[in-house]
Amino acid sequence: MMRRILANAVVALAVVATVACSFKSEQPTSTELSIGALDVTDAELVPGSIVVDFKDGTTKEQFDAWEAEWGVDLEFNSADGADDGITVAVGIDDVESALERIRQNPAVEYAEPLMQFRSSFTPNDPEYGKQWNLQMIDMPKAWDRSRGKGVVVAVLDTGIAYEDYDDFKQVPDLKGVKFVKGFDFVNDDEHANDDHGHGTHVAGTIAQATNNAEGVAGVAFEATLMPVKVLNHFGSGTSADIADAIRFAADKGAKVINMSLGGGGYSPVMASAVEYARKKGVTVVAAAGNAGRSRVEFPAAYPGAVAVSAVGPNGTRAPYSSYGKELDIAAPGGDKRGGDQNGIIQNTIDPRNPARSVYASYQGTSMATPHVAAVAALLYAAGASGPDEVEKALFAGAKRVNGQAWTDEYGHGLLNAQASLDALGGGAGGQWPPLWWALVLLAVVLLTIGRRARPGYFNLLFSPSFLVPLVLATVGAFFARSIFGGASGTAGDVVNAVSLPIPDWERIIFGRGKLANPLFYSAIIPLVLSVFAIKFCGLRSAIGGLALGFAGFLGYAAWSKAPGLSYMPFTFLAMPWLIVNAAICVFIARAMLKKESA
Amino acid sequence: MKLTGRVAFRDIETGVWVLEGDDGRTYQLAGGDRKIKKDGQRIEVEGSVDRGALTIHMVGPVFNVATYRFL
Repeated sequence: MMRRILANAVVALAVVATVACSFKSEQPTSTELSIGALDVTDAELVPGSIVVDFKDGTTKEQFDAWEAEWGVDLEFNSADGADDGITVAVGIDDVESALERIRQNPAVEYAEPLMQFRSSFTPNDPEYGKQWNLQMIDMPKAWDRSRGKGVVVAVLDTGIAYEDYDDFKQVPDLKGVKFVKGFDFVNDDEHANDDHGHGTHVAGTIAQATNNAEGVAGVAFEATLMPVKVLNHFGSGTSADIADAIRFAADKGAKVINMSLGGGGYSPVMASAVEYARKKGVTVVAAAGNAGRSRVEFPAAYPGAVAVSAVGPNGTRAPYSSYGKELDIAAPGGDKRGGDQNGIIQNTIDPRNPARSVYASYQGTSMATPHVAAVAALLYAAGASGPDEVEKALFAGAKRVNGQAWTDEYGHGLLNAQASLDALGGGAGGQWPPLWWALVLLAVVLLTIGRRARPGYFNLLFSPSFLVPLVLATVGAFFARSIFGGASGTAGDVVNAVSLPIPDWERIIFGRGKLANPLFYSAIIPLVLSVFAIKFCGLRSAIGGLALGFAGFLGYAAWSKAPGLSYMPFTFLAMPWLIVNAAICVFIARAMLKKESA
Repeated sequence: MKLTGRVAFRDIETGVWVLEGDDGRTYQLAGGDRKIKKDGQRIEVEGSVDRGALTIHMVGPVFNVATYRFL
């Protein structure tokens, strides 16, 4: 009796899984799109889904009658559907041929695959179109993830045109940008204004006011700038001032220090200042130099600093850029051999008149450096804990040049903001480390069944009816993929299903991408199944295993900071939801595993 | 020290005047007077290298010109 029930349950599960999988139809092979002027670069097809627009006034009764022939189930897209005639259908096996059949009907205005649009943030700064450098490092996409909010970036340079003071004027495209108090080490006062033009340009690359309908954009425009003047009105300074300034910035809360400067020899004073900053958790970024030779300048060459070389719009090293064994990464610095449009454009002051604002196109490793510093700020704002983690993400996300992990001209490759943000934390909620899985599960299992009167404790642990649901609910039959990975069609779908944990099976049914369904991430499945076990005692150890598995899974999900749960009104509810449901699962498991059921 | 070479303007960073020395090295020019800024001019300069200076231009060591004459 018990075995038959168990066998039936397994068959039923398999059937459900197979049916569910069959909804996951293939993407249409040919994508014939009739959406005219819409920009489809950021659009993707929703698998197995179509949108059909009927002539106005077409009723649900009418298209319900045609559905049988078409083999789809259309519903109005919204409450207005009855007026505008727009309907959608999901779960279609062969989208192309279904569309073919639907288009024959005279009541249909158009029928096409359902598209999902995701538009990236596009700033309204009028000269944004000229900033090839921002496209090169994948900024538009990265802005959806981080804008550097609140991260303090110290710019050690000729100063910044950040305030109206004396005969200095703030440049218009830094209006609204956040600043913290800096210092002028050249003139020894607190007004680190720019009397040259270089520092303001560099600061602009980092945090130019963006989406303000003025000028150009910056990489980390919600970051906070700290103006620190270490170079005089000719653009040169001393190692003593710079070393002082590095310590000053680190002590005053900077997370990133940008040094678009270099030269001189090795200075122990500056080397120890760089080391000090780094130990304080500051990322130090510096320019490789513009001598076009195989020698990275100091301070970029000091061990704690990230050394940056420059590339032109075509992604190859600009001829002026220095390189060498200390090089870490390459970033856009311009190459004006092809004209000024191939330089880096930012708002700065006219070198001849510090009170006058200009948009200047410069080239140099000084221009490349702030790109890296700004992406470091994006990484800190996205949760990076310190310079080690930031550098790891910067280098992991850098686009390899010629497929090489490191070269003396490009370091780890060409800076990419989007990929570096991806690399940070290794994509939480994706592949969870199996070792942690195992440990959490073991703890839950032992805590729950450990209190059972012995003997019978280990017997239960290793009985298949307990162990199989336990494994399915937590890690899934993950090994199935490697054994049967080649299977296609329905067989392949079954493999896909059983290789996922049960709470993630809804992803197969609904294909909802990264969000998890709170109904599946809950105690509902074990709870419903446990009702049957009241009658059929033989099911109890299996349900117990399943419930324990769910408890482990939910506990792990909570511990790993809860993946996004869809339909939850507030994200902060996700954590209590997981914890409460894990507790309910443990309760069910204990009830199921009471001694008399063994 | 005395150097010979060619004066040149380089559009690097905000723009910089250099001496392309006959010794094969590039020096960033400092000092002298404004008439030294003559692109392509052969020159003999007397002065000293400032080892402690760091600059935005990073094209080579800074050479402080005391006197010069065009060749």
